[in-house]
Amino acid sequence: MAALFENTKCECGHQNPPDTTLCESCGKPLGEEALSNRPLEMRYDGVARRSQKANPNLIDRIWNFFSSVKVAVVLIVITLIGAMLGTIYPQENTFINFDPAYYEENYGLAGKIYYALGLSHTYESWWFITLLVMIGASLVICSLDRVLPLYRALNKQQIRKHLQFLTRQRVTYAADLEGGDEEWTRKLAEQLRKKRFRVAAEQTALLAEKNRFSRWGPYINHIGLIIFLLAVLARAIPGWQLDEYVAVREGEAVPIPETNYYVKNIDFEVEYYSDDEMPDRLKGTMRPKRFETKAELYVCEANCGSTALEPVLRKVKTHDILVNDPLEYKGLKLYQFDYDTTPRLKAVRPVLMDLKSGESYGPFELSILEPESEYELGPYRLKLITRFLDFTVNASGEPANLSSQPNAPAFLFLIQGPDLPAEGETFFYFPIQTDRERFGQDLINGEMAERFDIRVTDMANVEFAGDVSYLNVRVDRALPFVFVGAFISLIGLVMGFYWQHRRVWLRIDDGRLTLGAHTNKNWYGLRAEVAAALRRAGLDVDPKSLDNGGKKE
Amino acid sequence: MKGRERKIIQYVILIGILLLGGYAVGKTLFVSDDDKPKIGGRPPSFENVADIEGNLHSLDDYKGKPVVINFWGSFCPPCVAEMPAIDRQYLKYRDQGLVVLAINLSEDDITVRDFLKRFDLHYTILRDKNRMIEKKYALRSYPTTFFISRDGRIQDIKVGGMTEEDIEQRILKLMEA
Amino acid sequence: MNWLSISSGAFITAFALYCVAFLLYVIAVIGRKWKNREPEGHLRKWGRIAFVFSSLGLAAHLVFFFTRWAGAGHIPTSNMYEFLTLLGMAIMIAFTILFAIYRSPLLGMFALPLTVLIIAYAAVFPQEVQPLVPSLQSNWLRLHVTGAALGEAFFAVGFAAGLMYLLRVTDYNDKSASARRSQRWLEFSLYVLIVVAGFIITVFAFRGSGYEASFVQENLSIDARGNEQLTTQTVEYQLPPIVKPHDSEPVSIQPFLGLDRPLFEAPGWMNGVNAGRKLNTVIWSVISGTILYGLLRLLARKPLGAAIHPLLDGIDPDDLDEISYRAIAIGFPIFTLGGLIFAMIWAEQAWGRFWGWDPKEVWALITWLFYSAYLHLRLSRGWHGLKSSWLSVIGFLIVMFTLIGVNLIIAGLHSYAGV
Repeated sequence: MAALFENTKCECGHQNPPDTTLCESCGKPLGEEALSNRPLEMRYDGVARRSQKANPNLIDRIWNFFSSVKVAVVLIVITLIGAMLGTIYPQENTFINFDPAYYEENYGLAGKIYYALGLSHTYESWWFITLLVMIGASLVICSLDRVLPLYRALNKQQIRKHLQFLTRQRVTYAADLEGGDEEWTRKLAEQLRKKRFRVAAEQTALLAEKNRFSRWGPYINHIGLIIFLLAVLARAIPGWQLDEYVAVREGEAVPIPETNYYVKNIDFEVEYYSDDEMPDRLKGTMRPKRFETKAELYVCEANCGSTALEPVLRKVKTHDILVNDPLEYKGLKLYQFDYDTTPRLKAVRPVLMDLKSGESYGPFELSILEPESEYELGPYRLKLITRFLDFTVNASGEPANLSSQPNAPAFLFLIQGPDLPAEGETFFYFPIQTDRERFGQDLINGEMAERFDIRVTDMANVEFAGDVSYLNVRVDRALPFVFVGAFISLIGLVMGFYWQHRRVWLRIDDGRLTLGAHTNKNWYGLRAEVAAALRRAGLDVDPKSLDNGGKKE
Repeated sequence: MKGRERKIIQYVILIGILLLGGYAVGKTLFVSDDDKPKIGGRPPSFENVADIEGNLHSLDDYKGKPVVINFWGSFCPPCVAEMPAIDRQYLKYRDQGLVVLAINLSEDDITVRDFLKRFDLHYTILRDKNRMIEKKYALRSYPTTFFISRDGRIQDIKVGGMTEEDIEQRILKLMEA
Repeated sequence: MNWLSISSGAFITAFALYCVAFLLYVIAVIGRKWKNREPEGHLRKWGRIAFVFSSLGLAAHLVFFFTRWAGAGHIPTSNMYEFLTLLGMAIMIAFTILFAIYRSPLLGMFALPLTVLIIAYAAVFPQEVQPLVPSLQSNWLRLHVTGAALGEAFFAVGFAAGLMYLLRVTDYNDKSASARRSQRWLEFSLYVLIVVAGFIITVFAFRGSGYEASFVQENLSIDARGNEQLTTQTVEYQLPPIVKPHDSEPVSIQPFLGLDRPLFEAPGWMNGVNAGRKLNTVIWSVISGTILYGLLRLLARKPLGAAIHPLLDGIDPDDLDEISYRAIAIGFPIFTLGGLIFAMIWAEQAWGRFWGWDPKEVWALITWLFYSAYLHLRLSRGWHGLKSSWLSVIGFLIVMFTLIGVNLIIAGLHSYAGV
C-alpha cells in the first residue's frame, strides 16, 4: 500500500512510476538510491521494471518468478547438472536393440539405480524437457520485462542531467575552467565527435553516445534462442521429422518407409587407404578413405503400397552419396551411413560330374534366389525338389531355414537318368564349400556321393551379389528454423559482446565542468576514451583517476 | 488502461508457454512410439497384396469382419508350430465370418511354395515384399498376431507363439465383440 | 624438401621460444623490485622484449601449423596431438589479442606457462599424421575444431587472469575461516596444475628410458545379431603398471623399483578406449605431481600461493578482473559459433542430425551453459572480483574435462586415441 502514497514526482517536475530509482527525466537519484553516496546502480537506467508491482496476484507471482535473472541462473545450473548426469553411462538411444537389463549387468547396483531413476534417457525425460521449457519461459519473460523499459529510457534521454547523476557515475570528472562555458561545451563536443560519438548538445550541456545498438544484443540473442527452442519443439509435428535406415544392394531399388520414394543403388564403391598413406601403426588395416553410393531417387506414382504389383516409378534425382554429402530432394535427405561388402552368392555355374565315367555335364546356371525347376544335363535330368536359403537342421531333425537371408543356400535335387531308378535319386547340393563340409553333404547323399558330384570348376563360374549400402533417410523440416535461430542468437552475442554502449554526460555551470560517463562493459576502454577526449581539449587527466570505484559490470 | 493491456499480454504469453511447454512435456510422458499400432487403435492399412495364387487383397476388403492378422516366416519355429492350430480354429469359425490373413515375412517364392506344400492350410496366406507391411506394423519379433474386431479396431496384440487354447480364447473374444 | 620435417623443427622452436618468453615475462614482473631500477620503465622494457619472444614463438607455431597442413594434405586438427597444439596456438593468439588491448605483461607470466603445459601435453600423444576416415573429411568439421579451440583459448586466458586475480587478492596473513578456505582452494588449484606438469615429466622420463609393459585384455561384446563376441586386445604400457586393465593378464612387465606386477585392476565402469592405461597414467601423475609439489613447497617454505602473492604486489586487481571478464566475453561468441553452431552443421551433414546427445556434445553444451551462467551472474547479479574469478577457474576445469576427461572416461564419437 505504501506505493500508493509514495510521492514519485521528481524536483524537475517529472512524474515517475513507483519504484523508479533514477528520475526518468533528469536522472536524480530517488528513494533509497538518494541516501547513499556510492556510484549509481545504472542497470536499465533506474527505470521501474515491468514486473515490480505491489500486491501481486498469482499470475503476477508466476510472471515475477520467470522474470528473475536469479531464477534463470538457477535453471541454467540445474540443467547443466542434469546434463552431466546423463553422460555418466551410455544413454538408451545409443543402442540399436536396447535391453533394459543392460545397466544392471554392466554397472551393478549403480546401473540399476541409474536406470530406475530414468537417467538412462535423461534428455528425453519429462524433467529435463520441463527445465528446457522453463528456460524458454524465462528467456521470453526476462527479456520482455527488461527490453521495454530500457527502450523507453534510452529513447527519450534528457541532455542536461542532475548534478548528482553525473558525480555518482562510475567514471566521473570535475574541474574549474577558464573561458566561456558554451565554447568549452562546443570544444568538448568536437573532440567526442572525433571519437565517433553522436553528440546532442544544449548551450552548456551535452550528451555523447555511441553503439547504443549493442544494448539490444542480449535481447536479439534471446530471440534467437527462443526461435531455436521452438524449432526443436516443432520437430514433433507429424511429418516434420523422419529417421529411417534402408539397406540397398547394388542394382536394387527399395521403397523408403513412410514416404512415396524409392531409392536405387546403381553402384557402390569403397576405397581404402594404401599402406604408404598410413603411419606404421596402422599399416595393413583396412581404413576406408572414401565410400560412395551412386544413387537414384524415384517417386512412386502407382501401385505404391502393393507388394504384388510392380510400382510405377519416375526418376527425380541422381546423386553420388558420400559421407558429408547427402542426396537431397524436397527436404528428404539420404545419408551414407554404412556399407557391407561381405561377399554373398548370387549364382553359380556348376557342372554335374559322373564320378564313375569321369564325364562332366554342364555347366548350368543355378541362381540362388530364382533357380529353374529343371535342368537337362546330357543324359541326366535334375529336378529341384526344394531349396533352402539359410540351411539348418531344426530341433525335430528336419531341414529348415534359419532366416530369410541367403546365408547358407542348399539345393535338394532329384537326379534321373541312366542306371538310376525311374523315380530318381535325391541329391543335396551346398554351393558354399564351408557349408558343404559343415553340414556333411557327402554323408547326407550317401551312395549318391560316390556316383555324382555337383561342383564349380572355376571361380569365374561364381557370381556374387553387389555390395550393400546402408543409407540413413532423414526429413527435418524444422532444420532451417533451428539454424536461423542459432545464427540470430550468434548475431546478438556478437553485438552485445564486441561493442559497448558508451555515454558521456557533461554540463558546465559557471565555469565548473562536471562529467559523468557510463558503459555496460569495458570501463577500461571508456576511461581511456574520455581521458583522450579531455586531453585533446586541453585537460590532462590520467585515465585511472576517472574511476569512481564501485561495482563493475 | 495501460495496466489492462499489460495484463492481457501477460496472460497471452503465459498461456502460450503453458500450451507449448505442456505439449513438449506431455509428449515425453504419454507417447513413446506414436506410429505403432496399439490396442484400441486402427490397424495400418495395406492394399493390393498378393496371396499365393496371385489374387490381390486389401485390408479394406474385410471391413466389418473380425480379422486375425498373423505374421509368420518359415524360418521361425514358433510361427510354424502355431499354424495348424490357427487353421483348425479358422475352420471352426469361418462360417461366422472369421478372416485369417497370415502375412509371410518377405520370403522368396520357392521358400514359401515349398514350405506350404507340407501343410494343408485353408486360411489366406499373403506375401509381403521388402518388409513393407511388416514395417508398417512395427514388428519387433515373430510371430506377432493382431486381432481386429468388427468395428475395425485392434482388440488385442499377441507377441510370440500361442497354444491352441490360447488361440481359441482370443478368437471367441473377437467373435463376441 | 619435406614439409613435415620443417613442421617438427618449427614445433620445437616454438616450444623453446615460449619457454624463453615465459622467463622474460617473469623477469619483467619480478625485476621491478630489483635494486637500482625504475619499476615502470623496467616493466615496460622487459615486457616488450618478452612480447617479441612470445610473438616469435607464435610465428614459429604458425609455421608448424601450416607446414603440417601442407605436408599432411589436411588441416592438422584430427587427433589429440594436433588438437592440443592447436589449442596452445589459439591460447597464444587470444593472449596476443588481449595483450594488444591491455598491454599487461603480467598476463604473459600466466598465459605462457599454460601454453607451454598444453603443448608439452600434446607432445605426449602420437605425433604421426593419420589418414582421415570419411566422416572427418569435412570443412565444417575443420571450422568446428578451430573455432572451438579459439573460444576455449579465450576461456583459458580468462582462467589465467582469474587465477592471477585470486593470487593477488588472497591475503595470506588473514587467519579467519573464510580466508583459510580460499587459501586452501587456491593452493589446491596450483597443486592440480603441478600434477599436470608432473604427468608430462613422468611420461617423458619413462619414454626416454624406454620402459614397456603389456597386457592382454578380453572384451566381451554383443553384436547386432545378438551373438557374443570375445575380442582380445593387447594394451601396451609405457609407465610401470600400478593399475592393470580390467579383465586382463600381464604379458611382460619390466620391473621398476621392485614393482614387477600391477597392484590393482581398473574398475569395469571406465569405458574409454584403454581406460586402464589412462587410469594408470593418472595415478602416476598424481604421485609425481605430489612429489614435485612437495619439493617446491620445501623450497619456498610456505604455501606456493603465499610465495607467488608478493610478486603481484602493486598490480591493480580490478584490471585483472576486467581482463579475465573481457577474455571470457570475447571467447563466448566464438565458442558458440565454433563449439556449437559449426558442430551442429557438421553433425547435420555427416549423420543427418544436428544434435545427438553424444557425451562430448553434452559437455560442450555444459561448458556453454556454465559460461552463460557466469555472464548472467556478472552482468545482472553483479558477481565480480573473487566470485567471478573462481567461476573462471571452475569454467576452465569444465573446458579441460570436455577436452580430455570425456575421452578418458566416456566412449563416444569424439574419442581420440592416446596415453
